[in-house]
Amino acid sequence: MLRWPELQESFRIATSSLRVNLLRSILTTAGVVVGVVLVVLMGWTINGLDAVWEQTISIIGKDMMYIDKWNWAGGGNWRKMEARSNITLDQALQLQQRMESAEDIIPLIRKWGGSVSLGNTSIRCSVTGTTAAYGNTAAGTAAAGRFFNGVEEHSADKVVVIGYNVNKNLFPTSSAVGQSIKIAGIPYRVVGVIEKRGFLFMDFVDNEVFIPLHAFRGAYGFVGRSFSVGIKTGSERLLDIVRDEATGHMRSIRNVSPLDDSDFSINEMKAFDQQAKNIRVGIWVVGMGLTILAFIVGSIGIMNIMYVSVTERTKEIGVRKAIGARRSSILLQFLIESALLCVTGAVIAFPIAQVLVGSARFLAVSVFELEWASVVSPLIPLDLLGIAVGVSILVGLLAGLLPAIKASALDPVEALRAE
Amino acid sequence: MSQPIIEIANLVKRYEMGDEEVFALQGVTLTIGRNEYVALMGPSGSGKSTLMNMLGCLDTPTSGSYLFTGENVSDMDDDDLAEIRNREIGFVFQTFNLLPRATALQNVELPLVYAGMAKDQRMQRATEALKRVGLADRMDHKPNELSGGQRQRVAIARALVTSPSIILADEPTGNLDSKTGQDIMRLFGELWRGGNTVILVTHEEDVARHARRIIRLRDGRIESDEVNPHAPLA
Repeated sequence: MLRWPELQESFRIATSSLRVNLLRSILTTAGVVVGVVLVVLMGWTINGLDAVWEQTISIIGKDMMYIDKWNWAGGGNWRKMEARSNITLDQALQLQQRMESAEDIIPLIRKWGGSVSLGNTSIRCSVTGTTAAYGNTAAGTAAAGRFFNGVEEHSADKVVVIGYNVNKNLFPTSSAVGQSIKIAGIPYRVVGVIEKRGFLFMDFVDNEVFIPLHAFRGAYGFVGRSFSVGIKTGSERLLDIVRDEATGHMRSIRNVSPLDDSDFSINEMKAFDQQAKNIRVGIWVVGMGLTILAFIVGSIGIMNIMYVSVTERTKEIGVRKAIGARRSSILLQFLIESALLCVTGAVIAFPIAQVLVGSARFLAVSVFELEWASVVSPLIPLDLLGIAVGVSILVGLLAGLLPAIKASALDPVEALRAE
Repeated sequence: MSQPIIEIANLVKRYEMGDEEVFALQGVTLTIGRNEYVALMGPSGSGKSTLMNMLGCLDTPTSGSYLFTGENVSDMDDDDLAEIRNREIGFVFQTFNLLPRATALQNVELPLVYAGMAKDQRMQRATEALKRVGLADRMDHKPNELSGGQRQRVAIARALVTSPSIILADEPTGNLDSKTGQDIMRLFGELWRGGNTVILVTHEEDVARHARRIIRLRDGRIESDEVNPHAPLA
């Protein structure tokens, strides 16, 4: 039976004992401090990665899929994929006509390693030919100006929409919209700048410019290139339906025999989730390992100091027992003291973790100018504080258990005799 | 004799010291009634401390029976004994045994904490107990801010606070100068006259003289048990 007055008394004793042995208490909690700092850092890192990943994937478009000769996630046999016939504009247009479940079908053709120039400055980037519909996708959202429209797509206008990095490198100070840049020697009018999309390892997607298909054909030609067909489903929920329909049509358009595998890949942003998950698990495993190690070391320290505390206070235990403390009273007293010791460690750890997290983010954003880092929170996540306190209480109780049992089982006569 | 509080019959306590068996008590039979004032005397090794531990329910006998206010305590478990000690026995030790980091008031409250009493009631009763021992103005002092006599008064207040059936004092003046010791003995006298049952454990004749009945132990047996002819009048 647990009695409220005893519980209060136990807290009073525990706090006063921690105060009296302040330095010893703080030193004892070092292992717990390290453990809590690690837990918090790990959680923060995973949360940060999630945020970066979420940002990247949502900007590229969770409702998008791309029919392509290549499997983007790198799966499958590379030689086999290379041997596939190119996807042509005609096939893309046929698919456009047949598809019923999708919102938009957007042919894309890409020249990797192209370049654009402004005056004497030339930068390398990929040049993509597409239709005005690309402007309706999350990936085609303009931060300044607009995507080129249907009229411009079908006229002979030389218009271009430039990616975030291209804009930053060519027009670091002024506005790009309305300016003229050269692609393959021909001047284009910039009508829009795409908002930043790529974060972390997806940075390349911002190194891109978009021009109408006919302009692309004029500049680079379609021969020897494979189209990619962007399909905007309009909703994540429709991915399965649209994928099935698109697969069926595309197989028929490309005359794939019913017995053969499809000679194209359907790429979705979701496919990259697995990679993100792997990284997450990796961090978690390493972080957890270190954390558990720190907590083990920490709890040995706590256990040791609790044994010392029991020995030092044998007489006090005797007195308490003489005046009516039961075994459970003494047990509780030492368990609470041990748990409180650990919570002290957690409390010490929070500001340390916060300073580390804050500095890491500051370094990344302000010193190394990593823009992706700006979506990572500069604060330790609150739920982690809760978990860390919970875990340290648990560690405290476990580490304190044996010393507390020893204390509670002391013979009062022997204990009173102690000096 | 008034209604018995303590009834002991053929109490034996045997210790094993290495290979040797030591009989600290070899069949002690004893009855102590309500509102008695008893001194338990004997040289060291007489079994006096062991008997005190038995009477105080700190230890259980190897054999024999012990009835405390009619309850058989000789086969109780630790927690039952703790409850008896809390409710029925007030200890006063030679070295006071106050908790150093607690105030006088908190020290006196402690038995009530273990009794599960609420804060308000605890404060009230502890304050009353401290008033009885003349320390109303020292309640917020810690033991190291009090003199030896004052510390022992705090300890006595702690023993009184639960209104126990007996007050068990183990050499209560052993660490005090003689004048302070006399003050403390006067306090015990007052408690006894107030209706308390007091058992003193001592090896000093001067101290034992305050009691109404003196029980002498030797070699684990009762050597004599007689009314004290020198006892001051009640």
